[in-house]
Amino acid sequence: MTHLALSNISKRFGDNSVVSDFNLDVEKGEFVSFLGPSGCGKTTTLRMVAGFEIPTTGKVILDDADLTNRAPNQRNVGMVFQAYALFPNMTVAQNIGFGLQIRRESAQAIKERVGEMLSLIHLEDRGGSYPYQLSGGQQQRVALARALANRPQVLLLDEPLSALDAKIRVSLRAEIRAIQKKLGITAIYVTHDQEEALSISDRIVVMYDGRIEQVGTPFEIYNFPTTAFVASFVGTLNTTEAEVIDPKAQTLRLEGQQLQAASGLEGKRIGDKTRIAIRPERFNFVSVERKDNVLDCTIENITFLGSVVRVQVALGSQRFFMDTFNNPFLELPRIGSKTQITCSREAVLVLSH
Amino acid sequence: MRRGGQVWAWFWMILGILYFFLPLLATFLFSLRAKLGVLSFQAYEDVFTDPDFIYNFGYSVFWGVLTIIVGILLFVPTAYLIRLRLPQFRSSVEFITLLPFVIPAIVFVFGLVRTFSQPPFLIVDSPALLVAAYTVLAMPYMYRAVDTGLRSIDVRTLTEAAQSLGAGWGTILFRVILPNIRVAILSGAFLSFAIVIGELILAQYLVKPAFAPYLAYLIQQKAYEPAAMAVISFALTWAFLGIIQFVGRGGAQAQIGGGR
Repeated sequence: MTHLALSNISKRFGDNSVVSDFNLDVEKGEFVSFLGPSGCGKTTTLRMVAGFEIPTTGKVILDDADLTNRAPNQRNVGMVFQAYALFPNMTVAQNIGFGLQIRRESAQAIKERVGEMLSLIHLEDRGGSYPYQLSGGQQQRVALARALANRPQVLLLDEPLSALDAKIRVSLRAEIRAIQKKLGITAIYVTHDQEEALSISDRIVVMYDGRIEQVGTPFEIYNFPTTAFVASFVGTLNTTEAEVIDPKAQTLRLEGQQLQAASGLEGKRIGDKTRIAIRPERFNFVSVERKDNVLDCTIENITFLGSVVRVQVALGSQRFFMDTFNNPFLELPRIGSKTQITCSREAVLVLSH
Repeated sequence: MRRGGQVWAWFWMILGILYFFLPLLATFLFSLRAKLGVLSFQAYEDVFTDPDFIYNFGYSVFWGVLTIIVGILLFVPTAYLIRLRLPQFRSSVEFITLLPFVIPAIVFVFGLVRTFSQPPFLIVDSPALLVAAYTVLAMPYMYRAVDTGLRSIDVRTLTEAAQSLGAGWGTILFRVILPNIRVAILSGAFLSFAIVIGELILAQYLVKPAFAPYLAYLIQQKAYEPAAMAVISFALTWAFLGIIQFVGRGGAQAQIGGGR
């Protein structure tokens, strides 16, 4: 059952269209990420749910109530900001209890709820500290507790980990996800970090230029991108143009070599050009495993990336990346040598645009 | 090289201290000579026991405090809303706040007398006009102090955070914004107070029993008491600065920390 519905949302600032034709239904307890580059409209969309922006057209419906024109303080929506936004003049406990005080809850109820929240974020002993006495990660956990203390219907997180260092980002995103699951709260998370979105979300909404490019589970978004933008934005990807030679048999021609896809050529005609994409990790050397597609190529470069070795190969005038797990006992081909690489027909993704 | 630099640093510091303190010391020593042949606090005693001093000083303090309250109520919401909602008007408002520096006080007071001494605004005798005029004079200090304070915090995000927690405008202003710019407000308040205490022309032309006209009268009539008053004024100024420093310590830390 739909918990939060964004229907036909658009937002214009003067002549500038920031969000257009945005439709999304979010289930209760679902964790949805808005993923996209800067300026794609993801934060504006989130701010329309929070009430900080009013949509030019469309509606925001939460539990069957129309929130579209309701003031931010009249929506039961919690928000976590990139810059923490803790009130510097208040202690951690006062920050967490602020919303409850606004609701005129009793002192005892506030004390109990603040205690619950502090234990949820594992900062039981820091209730009396001021924000400036906490690290960035701790401050953001307090901001999360403050947003949750009011028991909001939806939790909104606007790039909450962007200001933190890489290690804390990874641990805190796991903590956010664990807390969200524990409380069963619906969450919308804005990020431009694909790894963050892939690791934390039930579903990802990939946005570009104010529009939804694709909505899907992290698995679907990564493995089956439907547009060239999604394919290029999420993960590393080889994209190129190939010629359709048999749509029924899903056969393509790439640099004079035959390439077999699993699907996506329905409706195409012989001789049509179509964009295809192949993930680097879906390629293998022939000697490892026999696949549907065998392509002759030349090794151009080999880059050591730690757990992965990235091999750049030339296929005629095309350049492809191939990722293989680092194995110190496996001999890699020499640069300049000719070799064959393979991939399955499922690895060849035919993109819609 | 480094030692030479240190010597020069000390030299300039001592020169600065002497430049500032020598006249003050001379004034202080002069104020102690009210009794012939001995050093005494007679001039101070005379000042504090003069009923006119108490009355005029009390008058200025009362209306000065009222000016501060009016200034805070007027300029804090204005500066806040301009920063939050109308940033395009910031430069225009800044220009307006500078006008009291540009328009001479004598022009200002004649404008007030002309405008408010005939119907429909016959309020030239009312102290309310004095407070309004003081508020205008103190505007550059109060507005700019508040604006600088607002610049040191993330006004938009703090406002939105409070809104998302259910707070209305009053709560946001009084519980979130004001406490975080209290040092700036104190600075503005202190400067406003200093303006009111030292303001002569408005009080004289509006015929009000304020402190500055009393001081001017005292300078014309007596020798040692004005020196004592000057020392008292310095002591009061330092006391205020000390209070601002003391109250502002925690706030400044919190603001810096909040921005990490």
